[in-house]
Amino acid sequence: MKPGPFRYHAPESLDAAVALLAELGDEAKVLGGGQSLVPLLAMRLATVDHLVDVGRIAAMKGYERRGDTLVVGASTPDVRLERAADVAVAVPLLARATPLIGHAQIRNRGTVGGSLAHADPAAEYPAVASALDAELELRSHRGTRTVPAAEFFLGVWTTCLEPDEVLAAIHFPIWAGRVGCRVGFGVREFGRRHGDFAIAGAVTAVELDGAGVIARCAIALFGLGPTPLRAGSAEKALLGSRPGELDAETVGQLAVGDAHDPPEDLHGPPEYRLRVGAAMAAAAWKDAVEEASSA
Amino acid sequence: MTAARFVGQRLPRREDARLLTGSGAYVDDVVRPGMLHAAFVRSDVARGRIVAVDTTAALALPGVVAVLTAADLNGLTHDVWVDYLGPGVDPTPFRVLADGDVRFVGDPIAIVVAESRYLAEDGCALVEVEIEAEQAVVDMDVAVAAGAPLVHPELDSNVAVRVPAADDPELDAIFASAAHVVTETFTQHRHVCSPMETRGLVSEWDPWRGELVVWLSTQGPHGARGFLARALGVPENRVRVIMGDVGGGFGQKMFMVPEELAVVLAGKHLGRPLKWIEDRRENLMAGLHARDDRVTLSVAVDAEGHILGIRGELLENLGSFAAPGSASGMFVGMVMPGPYRIPRFGFSSRSVYTNTCGRGAYRGPWMMETLAREQMMDVVAAAVGLDPLELRRRNVLTAADLPYTTATGLGYEDVTTAETLEQAAAMLGYADLRAEQERARVDGRLLGIGLALYVEPSALSMGSLSSEAARVSVSVNGQVQAVMSSASHGQSVETTVAQVVADELGIDVGDVTVLQGDTAATPYGGGTGGSRSAVQVSGAARDAAQQLRAKMIEIAAEALEAAPGDLEIVDGAVSVAGAPGSSIAVAEIARIAYTQPERLPPGTDMGLEAQARFRPSAPFTWSTSCHACLCEVDPVTGAVEIKRYVVSEDCGVMINPMVVEGQIAGGVVQGIGGMLYEHMAYDADGTPLSTTFVDYLLPTAAEVPTIEYGHIETPASTNPGGYRGMGEGGAIGSPPAVVNAVCDALRVRITEQPLSPAVVAGAIARRNAT
Amino acid sequence: MPESDLSLTVNGAPRAGRVEDRRTLADFLREDCRLTGTHLGCEHGVCGACTVLLDGDAVRSCLMFAVQADGAQVTTVEGLGGAGGELSPVQEAFRAEHGLQCGFCTPGFVVSVTAFLRDHPDPSDAEIRDGLSGNLCRCTGYQGIVAAVKRAAQVES
Repeated sequence: MKPGPFRYHAPESLDAAVALLAELGDEAKVLGGGQSLVPLLAMRLATVDHLVDVGRIAAMKGYERRGDTLVVGASTPDVRLERAADVAVAVPLLARATPLIGHAQIRNRGTVGGSLAHADPAAEYPAVASALDAELELRSHRGTRTVPAAEFFLGVWTTCLEPDEVLAAIHFPIWAGRVGCRVGFGVREFGRRHGDFAIAGAVTAVELDGAGVIARCAIALFGLGPTPLRAGSAEKALLGSRPGELDAETVGQLAVGDAHDPPEDLHGPPEYRLRVGAAMAAAAWKDAVEEASSA
Repeated sequence: MTAARFVGQRLPRREDARLLTGSGAYVDDVVRPGMLHAAFVRSDVARGRIVAVDTTAALALPGVVAVLTAADLNGLTHDVWVDYLGPGVDPTPFRVLADGDVRFVGDPIAIVVAESRYLAEDGCALVEVEIEAEQAVVDMDVAVAAGAPLVHPELDSNVAVRVPAADDPELDAIFASAAHVVTETFTQHRHVCSPMETRGLVSEWDPWRGELVVWLSTQGPHGARGFLARALGVPENRVRVIMGDVGGGFGQKMFMVPEELAVVLAGKHLGRPLKWIEDRRENLMAGLHARDDRVTLSVAVDAEGHILGIRGELLENLGSFAAPGSASGMFVGMVMPGPYRIPRFGFSSRSVYTNTCGRGAYRGPWMMETLAREQMMDVVAAAVGLDPLELRRRNVLTAADLPYTTATGLGYEDVTTAETLEQAAAMLGYADLRAEQERARVDGRLLGIGLALYVEPSALSMGSLSSEAARVSVSVNGQVQAVMSSASHGQSVETTVAQVVADELGIDVGDVTVLQGDTAATPYGGGTGGSRSAVQVSGAARDAAQQLRAKMIEIAAEALEAAPGDLEIVDGAVSVAGAPGSSIAVAEIARIAYTQPERLPPGTDMGLEAQARFRPSAPFTWSTSCHACLCEVDPVTGAVEIKRYVVSEDCGVMINPMVVEGQIAGGVVQGIGGMLYEHMAYDADGTPLSTTFVDYLLPTAAEVPTIEYGHIETPASTNPGGYRGMGEGGAIGSPPAVVNAVCDALRVRITEQPLSPAVVAGAIARRNAT
Repeated sequence: MPESDLSLTVNGAPRAGRVEDRRTLADFLREDCRLTGTHLGCEHGVCGACTVLLDGDAVRSCLMFAVQADGAQVTTVEGLGGAGGELSPVQEAFRAEHGLQCGFCTPGFVVSVTAFLRDHPDPSDAEIRDGLSGNLCRCTGYQGIVAAVKRAAQVES
């Protein structure tokens, strides 16, 4: 299974990358870690005339804390986030979601930006971005625009990225405990085998205020629709309540109530995915609450 | 009588050094001067008429050397048949490339030859094929229905082989009067062997010598040689097949497939060496599939659970272009009574064609008999209110029953069915586990125990698989080489044969090398498959080594002026037993044999070379095994975790227990994979849905438990070494053990697989609703 | 066909040349460098038979283009043993525990395990199985492989 011919470009700056994309238009595709794109090229399910590898752009690699935000370069390999103690402190969801991605060999090459731009409905990072209302920084020769996660993911493998745009960085809000507040997080997923794409999964975050009331919460589901799904109804019901007033199972049921378009495939019918999704949401919610309560 | 110093030892393998360091020689490692590369254009329609194939654009691509179709190649074949069956026996049509019509998705239509595989695939993308699609026959029931379109229009039926049910008034009477009659239908889904190395070959025709050389990833180089010679109309003594290191086969590589013949024909036609390496998508889509059966069983039982009679009916899916001998109906019926006392047995079967990829062999190709029977044992147990172990205990053949002839005419001399069953139960701690299961159920946890007991018809000895040969020689320096008729594709023959030969000759195992795989150097053999190697390959090595030993003793007796009966060979030297002072080294004996005829005993020929061809004394050598599985099912997700897996088995004398356990383990994990993860699925139009490893799910190390082994060694009577074959057994016993465990956990019988989490969750939900 | 210059280090030796842009790293290693120990089992990034070390990280060489490895240090299975042909501790452990049969998946496992044990010198059984889950084997049922990793972990500690 060999890919069709293409010309490879490895710009060393973001400016050079967007200039190339402007020039090449539809004939070009951005290459991140290649863990999703290269199989498609090998199977000739996708053909490109030009590949623009953004993996050598130093400005797109690495992360830095800016106030209440962790800014992660889109070409940062997953494995860097997996191993970074400061990321685990600043944005625990990133550190906890990363080991669930595929296998070590994939994480060594796959990038955060690549995963977000590929927008697989069952991927973990899009759900993390969605849960945290991350802001995605898109660059083109026209300049920079910032798009919230809720507007970035449009459908299966579809984002709002224009053909000449590159996802340059992602701004993840840091849920540090505000004074008197405690935070907790959870990531749970279920797949056929270790490292497989999730049949369904959930990412949760909760902040308890000084009185132990839920001041903020987020539940994002993945594998249950064409894009990551914020479980708005569940979040609304939880805000202002105390942990335990709504038991975890109920939270899970409420969460999947917002999943109106679960996929159907060889792995199971829609009802099954919802059932698993509810269980994952319940477990992830329980994890988050336990963490926040004991903080 | 020689002492076993190496046989029975867990000797590390000599294959490993080269394989661990990346120095193996697999077929894709072969590079020949001027070699070109092939790729195939394949049908994306399951059934249809080929309207047009336009190769113009492909041929115009720089680097593409040729694009050949049926018109170019099919007429070049002479006689196409395999040694195993002989001419005119296999009803399934064979054609090199699709000719006028296509009969399954993946059917090869054209072969593109180019300077690289990259360019060949570019060429394939430019070949324009127009097919008028017709309604495909995908379902077996549709295929056998009256008026069904014919998968192979040149035949008059979609039923390739029918074994009708015999009239049996006695069996009828048994059913009429039995205390219980239990009937159930079991389905097994379609699998793909999926060896980690796909198929491949490099074919080179030398016009000056009139010789064909083919490097082939195969399980049977001699079979391939004969097949190619006949197919090309080239004398067999001008055909050489080289089987180097092979990355697994499991049955898929036992016979050659049309693509391989297309490559050989194309290479000869173009006058260039030609390589084709099947890619994974091709292997999954078109590389021969396996299993895909349905069996209905009716069992008549008395009030105490003793089986009085069984009636069975099989429907098996041959796909379109099945490999030779793939119709297993007769064999399934013959073996099905298995390890139990079954007084009366009736069976019928139909093997049918469909517009899907053809069926080939896969590790225990007849194993539907065990999958159906062992599930049925649990169903019958539930129906009569007995624990599944107890039902088996009441019906299993014991030592007192032997020798035993089954209702299907098979003779068991020395199987240890009851013993392996009891050992499995003891190893598992069956009674304790049943108690634990009850306690767990109270906590809402679903534990399940599954058993599967079977006998394996190993060392298949019939037709071209009747015998194996070895040429063992001691070189003039005193080292030994064993040249074997069949070669490993993972089963460690280089090591196990050396162990056997070293023991027979009284030398160090390090002084024996084993040569295998090249038809130019090795005697005729049937190939590695059918669990034959331990019995037949090692049997031949043993015989030849014994001949050599006798001659070495004779020569030594002359040199030492001793009686042959007083001599023994220890550590590479022959001496009088108990008087090691006077001895003669094997190296010295060899020098005498090759260079000093005057020192030979009168009447003894020169040389230390022996050839033996071994045929076991029965067409089957029976092995026995009982698998026991403990699983836990997640009540919400339906996920199945295998917590414990026990294999209690008797494969006779074990040459290398480490190799035996490795073979068992590989088969067990294939069974776990098959029942829980793997599924070669087709849609209603005959389009395969699992054509990459993203969809055809093989288990990883994270999905399997540590397997526990219990060995019983009852020497077989069919061969002097006492070996029994067992290579396929792991994959025969594990599917029913796993299925029975899951059904036991759910207290629901699910008769279709794979038992994906969704299927299991669905069964739990349905049970909870009732 | 578009081509690019390439210069990298493979098993400590410098390699330079010109390759087609679409040529995978796996094919470059196997055919251009004649290092055939790296195997192709699926060419879509699942089986792990093609695993090599890229600047020390285990990666699927079928999912990389050779040009992407420009300037990198690549280690294949051929580069793991000793200079005199001795087996590495991981290779020795695989041999001792019968962690291979047909050998086709083996180079990928050996490379992956070498990196894994370097990063997880004292792994639990669960961590071992997790660490192995990116490589497929069809012959061994993983029994000997898991045992080999445990043995190699003990030896190296």
